[in-house]
Amino acid sequence: MAVKQMQYLIIGASAAGMAAAEAIRKLDSEGSVTVLSDEQDMPYFRPMIPFVISGKKKFSEIMLIGQGPYQGANIDVRLNSRVETVNTADQKVSVKSGEELPYDKLLIATGSVPNIPSDIGGVEAEGVFVLRTIADARAMARRAETAGHAVMLGGGLLNLKAAFALLERGLDVTLIVKSPEILSRLMEPDDTVLIRNALNKAGLKLMTGSSVTRILSDSTGVIGVLLDNGGEIPCQMVCIGKGIRANVEFLDKSGILVDQGVVVDKFTCSNIQNVFAAGDVAVTFDPITGQRIVTGLWTNAAEMGSCAGRNMVGRPSAYSGTFGILNATQVADEPFVSMGIVHTKGTDYETHIAATPKAYRKLVFTPDGTRLIGALFIGDISRAGLYRYIIRERMSVKDIKSDIVNHRLHYGYFLR
Amino acid sequence: MSQPKEIFVRLDRCVGCHTCKIACSVEHSKSKNLFEAISEQPAPKNRVYVEWVPPDRKVPVLCRHCEDAPCMHACISGAISRTEEGVIITNSDKCIGCWTCVMVCPYGVIGRHLETRKAYRCDRCPDLQVPACVDSCPTQALVYRTVEGFSGDVRQDAAREMISGKGN
Repeated sequence: MAVKQMQYLIIGASAAGMAAAEAIRKLDSEGSVTVLSDEQDMPYFRPMIPFVISGKKKFSEIMLIGQGPYQGANIDVRLNSRVETVNTADQKVSVKSGEELPYDKLLIATGSVPNIPSDIGGVEAEGVFVLRTIADARAMARRAETAGHAVMLGGGLLNLKAAFALLERGLDVTLIVKSPEILSRLMEPDDTVLIRNALNKAGLKLMTGSSVTRILSDSTGVIGVLLDNGGEIPCQMVCIGKGIRANVEFLDKSGILVDQGVVVDKFTCSNIQNVFAAGDVAVTFDPITGQRIVTGLWTNAAEMGSCAGRNMVGRPSAYSGTFGILNATQVADEPFVSMGIVHTKGTDYETHIAATPKAYRKLVFTPDGTRLIGALFIGDISRAGLYRYIIRERMSVKDIKSDIVNHRLHYGYFLR
Repeated sequence: MSQPKEIFVRLDRCVGCHTCKIACSVEHSKSKNLFEAISEQPAPKNRVYVEWVPPDRKVPVLCRHCEDAPCMHACISGAISRTEEGVIITNSDKCIGCWTCVMVCPYGVIGRHLETRKAYRCDRCPDLQVPACVDSCPTQALVYRTVEGFSGDVRQDAAREMISGKGN
């Protein structure tokens, strides 16, 4: 009996979309897999775009297809194809060009869009950036050719990476954050000493507890920023990194349930049959707290995308959820890993902190001390994956607690 | 079809002598000679680890080259891929030292070259017929075999024990 060829349609060609496409291709060699991108460039590793700003990598070096798990065999990626509406009744989507594309299974993997706070004036001036796409990175690199001083608004990881890229190009960079510390989503103020030192050493100027009310510009573009205390900082470019939100506007009339992002069940399916969602655009749940969360992480998106791909082919695959926080990176000379629950102020979590001049460790257990729920490592991040495993699998830590706290944990303990 | 070989660990045979670690470091040194490797800078790194679990158990641990390798899927720069032989490799040119692989590896076997900011792990010694750790192990706690071959050995051993009346 001939089986009908499935038409898989994926909106979004970044981590979740491309991981889903690969997962589908692995299980179904017959069906058609079409991926729609609203960008002009072929898929690329989005977290790598700061390297394009610094000039350390060319675009060709961060392209996705052909690298690692992304082989792209028989996957049709269509560029410049922004989806305007999704018609779930007739199972088709319409693209900006007017074209309509039918689907049997649809994946929404449109990611997120940057927040631009409404209380900052003058954001439309030339030389104001939000870093999201390779096009943004190229524009920043161009502006940086003539700019001498850049002001970064927001102390998140992406903005820090962009700040470093500009420092590497020889610009002066000032980072302004409203909160009392940088990376406030990933750690508490008391945890940041090592990172702060590393930033100072690298030459980044940091202003905490202040915010910008207006971006000043003339015919040359940005010429400075006005602070809430009335002060003024001259600069030639501004980069806004004030968080993200799910890219869901085009779903307004689709009937697909949206609450912060596309709401999906454990099998990555939305409230409408044959419509799935994965990545930044999807609302998922945190296995530690059970709370619904939207994350903005490549790693999570790729994992959820693969899972959605399997579900679309009809191989039920439960998504085990993700931590709201699951970040690893290196800031200047300091590597760090932050995962699970690391904000403990005002809670009764059992917290163990060990700080030396070179390394900082914070381990967070449930109030009764029986389960590990979060870990923050700065300086020495070795074997961090074991801790992630313990948190994620909700393992009892009874026999290995002192080894966890004292950084003696290794895989051998899991074999008992 | 020939199955790819893998490195298996026989925990009951490991005496914790750490010979495998030395052999691994030497194989991954510039000189590939113990006496020169000792003084190389940066120091050559071993990719097999011998852990100790109280009261007195020794556990050699190394990259399992997982079928659904979490590190490969998590990598944000596309540096990690699988060779035709099934070996998961990190391309140093592509690695940016973000340590996402370290964060997701459930075995804790991905190391960091601090000097160059590159991740490293077992590469199954591409230049050798038998990986250095396996070749050096004096008790044959490490074996390099196909899955079929290894499980066949285990069955054989079990059968022998049963016949001799030890394994009741």
